[in-house]
Amino acid sequence: MIGPDGRAQHGVFILLRRLRVPLVLLIVSYSVAIAGFTVVTGYTPEGRPWQMSFFHAVYFVSFLGTTIGLGEIPYPFSDAQRLWALLSIYTTVLAWLYGIGAVFSTLQDPLFRRILHENRAFSGVRRMREPFYLICGYDDSGTLVARELAEAGVRTVVVDKNPERVDAVEVDQLRQQVPALVADASDPRALTLAGIANGRCAGVVALTGDDSINVNIALAARLLNPKSEVICAARWHHKQPEMAAVGADHIINPFDTFAERLVLALQAPSLHIIYEALTIQNANAMGTPRILPHGRWIVCGHGPFGRTVRRHLEKAGIQVIVMEEHADDDLPDGSVAGSPTRAETWRAARVETADGVVVCGPDDTENLTACLTARKLNADVFLAVRQNERRNSPMFRAAPVDLSVLSGYIVAAEVLRIIRAPQLSYFMRLARQQKEEWAHNLLMSMREHIGDDTVESWSVTMDREEAPAVVAALRSGRVVRVGDVMSAPDNRDLRLSAVPLLLQRANEKVLLPGDEEVLAEGDRLLLCGREVATSRMRWTVRDDTVLAYVLDGIASNRRVPWPALPPLPPGSNC
Amino acid sequence: MTFDKIFFAFVIVLALTLNLGFVVGDIANIAHHNRYELFASLVVSLVATVMKFGDRSQLGSTMLATSLVADLQLMAAAAFWAYATLDGSYPSVHDTVTIVSLAMGALAANVISVVLLIIETASLRR
Repeated sequence: MIGPDGRAQHGVFILLRRLRVPLVLLIVSYSVAIAGFTVVTGYTPEGRPWQMSFFHAVYFVSFLGTTIGLGEIPYPFSDAQRLWALLSIYTTVLAWLYGIGAVFSTLQDPLFRRILHENRAFSGVRRMREPFYLICGYDDSGTLVARELAEAGVRTVVVDKNPERVDAVEVDQLRQQVPALVADASDPRALTLAGIANGRCAGVVALTGDDSINVNIALAARLLNPKSEVICAARWHHKQPEMAAVGADHIINPFDTFAERLVLALQAPSLHIIYEALTIQNANAMGTPRILPHGRWIVCGHGPFGRTVRRHLEKAGIQVIVMEEHADDDLPDGSVAGSPTRAETWRAARVETADGVVVCGPDDTENLTACLTARKLNADVFLAVRQNERRNSPMFRAAPVDLSVLSGYIVAAEVLRIIRAPQLSYFMRLARQQKEEWAHNLLMSMREHIGDDTVESWSVTMDREEAPAVVAALRSGRVVRVGDVMSAPDNRDLRLSAVPLLLQRANEKVLLPGDEEVLAEGDRLLLCGREVATSRMRWTVRDDTVLAYVLDGIASNRRVPWPALPPLPPGSNC
Repeated sequence: MTFDKIFFAFVIVLALTLNLGFVVGDIANIAHHNRYELFASLVVSLVATVMKFGDRSQLGSTMLATSLVADLQLMAAAAFWAYATLDGSYPSVHDTVTIVSLAMGALAANVISVVLLIIETASLRR
């Protein structure tokens, strides 16, 4: 029961309100019992009549009501007093039982538990001292994103409608404390409670699996926290403009992403290798492209995934045959109707002579059956299959397929790329529009400068924090070029083993900037290269003496503090 | 008109009247102050406090606070009375003045409580 201001209500007030009647009963029964004892006459051992003072009465009723029973004090009771004590015992004990029962039933009450849960999540969010990401939806992709971000030390908050999934947050044992809230993410109050309007909320990730709810989340994020980054997953193309309109910064369509990469592998094998080298950890630029067959492809299933794959393949000029069990209006000509689990259907689609098959159904069992059927008819065909649920991974690994695609995994990988290396995904978008020849040249340049080492990518912003030396030189009127910061800090005739990929300015983007490109304050430079080049380059842009050396060749009197590195053989790249 | 509302107003006004009844009289003369009246005003004041639980409005919280003040003052008066008469004697003039003045403090809180009740009732739109 979140309040209209998006704050959790105080459970203690609800508890007190529920306990009004039992508390009044308790007070009344105690006061009647106490008052009675001050009135009823007793007798001292000497036979004098006496009445209890209020002090004694409160004392006696206190241990009587709690059934401790210390005896008749200060004198043995008269029969009248015993009668009153008897009545008092029953009324006060009953009042206690009723009160305790009411406390327990309130604590067990679903409403009260919900309030406690919301309070826990709310205080968890409020205690956050670092920037955090709000993850809406904790299914396959949400789980992966949360785990990876937690490993990287990034704080997250999870909202999901399904209590079981939210319980999983606790079971998953993430590296960081992750506040989790069971709530409908389309409710702005729930999002506010989860910290969407919090100044520390760096971004909102909408992964609910329902496009309309994702649109709601994007809208709420844009309006309630204009500075936050909004990442939105989409399933249906017709919802994407809506997401863009409400201000989502990144829209991820896993089907598009997969289809684009499939086509990329078909059309621009070099770019595909660059893509893999930059995005997969521990990958290098030396991989040989997997040549995918260009001939005739069969797309099995015509849902959103099948449609997307078909459109991308057709755009790439590949002949596509669609196989679909249920006829619909925009099936292309020459489609084959029938169940993909039956061999006749595959024969009708002439799978024996096809070059590639993409199975896109929404049901994992059916997809695997279809794969086995197709594989039986054509042992060499390239077989890609869509996996819908992560729990089926062992079966997909064992199945005779060339590629299995889990859309939750694709979404998670894209989200992580956007959060961890925002410039890289922008570069990828630009690179995809280039020709294969351009990609081939870049690949050759990467191989020349980086070799078979693992490719790392990093960004340097030419500001006072990251590159104070460059900023100082620029302010004093010096010209600093990309080539200058790319030189080795200990021998300016050599080059760092890195390739500049993208230079980003306020309103200008330079793809693959040349050495002659002039740097300006505030530029962001994206590079890829050997890991060792990262720190050497950072040294150049930070240290005045090193920068003066690479700019003018003025050898500084400072020793190069690198005893760990072996002397460089002449003429080699560093 | 509901039973709840009648009971609510009844308890709050009763707390004031009982308190007033106890306080009225010579402040230094214990014979003018009935111990049952103090007990009754304490009990009714406690019930009034419970009745005000759980209202988060500004007026509701102020009412709860005044009630808590009254409880505290009356409890202090009752405890002091019990402590001063542990040997079975009557409270001295000084003790009496202390007891009654503590109860007078509670009276002030109870007056505020009733005023708030009237304000709330008057500001209700029909």
